[in-house]
Amino acid sequence: MRAVVRTVSELCITAGTLIVLLVVYVLFWTGVRADGAMEHQIDLLQDQWARSSARPSASGGDAAAGPEEPAPYTYGRPFALMYIPRLGFTWNKPVLEGTGTGVLKKGLGHYARTAQLGQKGNFAVAGHRRTYGDPFKDFPKLRRGDAVVLTDGLTWFTYRIDRGPYKTVPSDVEVIDAVPRKSGYTRAGRYLTLTTCDPEWGHSHRLIVWAHLDSTQPVEAGKPRALRR
Amino acid sequence: MYGWIWRHLPGNAWVKAFISLVLIMAVVYVLFQYVFPWAEPLLPFNDVTVDNQ
Repeated sequence: MRAVVRTVSELCITAGTLIVLLVVYVLFWTGVRADGAMEHQIDLLQDQWARSSARPSASGGDAAAGPEEPAPYTYGRPFALMYIPRLGFTWNKPVLEGTGTGVLKKGLGHYARTAQLGQKGNFAVAGHRRTYGDPFKDFPKLRRGDAVVLTDGLTWFTYRIDRGPYKTVPSDVEVIDAVPRKSGYTRAGRYLTLTTCDPEWGHSHRLIVWAHLDSTQPVEAGKPRALRR
Repeated sequence: MYGWIWRHLPGNAWVKAFISLVLIMAVVYVLFQYVFPWAEPLLPFNDVTVDNQ
């Protein structure tokens, strides 16, 4: 009898310890791992840009023609850096191609079937609200007029948010259409969509913001106004 | 269970305590490295896309 009671209580303590450890893993350790992974992705990007800027690039002169067609992205590889001043002056995250679970552990994920950065259509990006570095923790703070700045190493793209967080259901794939119906846009254009989960720790809904391309400038011209203090 | 393990560890109390510590660290390592990364996608924090890929 005593042995049974002892074994049961030992099992209960073990289960409790396991749960505490899992919480530590989810809340703390995924963030530590993701911070390291994102740093690494940013380093990869900067190496890549340093190498390509060493060669004379053809994109120098024609600023009036707008951004030229970029090369197709490779799944799981970073291709841009995103800055959102509203989420913090130092907030910047790498954007990787694809929205698979493994990709989103290393940064923000670009929906593979949507437009490329700065191109006509809808450039759609997903990110974690919580866990893995909490990139979109303050997503509900985004407001109309906020800047979302991206760079691909050659050009700065400044998008302006047109619609504050819009709540929808997970199956609402329309929100990343070229001209999303609920966004209020009526004509084709160069748009940006960000998606994350809602509620903060749940998965019953999604939060969406839409933005349009406001301005571009070559990196040689310095940081865009939205990023200057 | 834990008493049984303790009794079967070799050495005196200090050696037993040291071996226990190593065992605990090994278990935590396996959990963080293999078990939790497997279990975590089953929790709802990963669903941030609208097309569920």
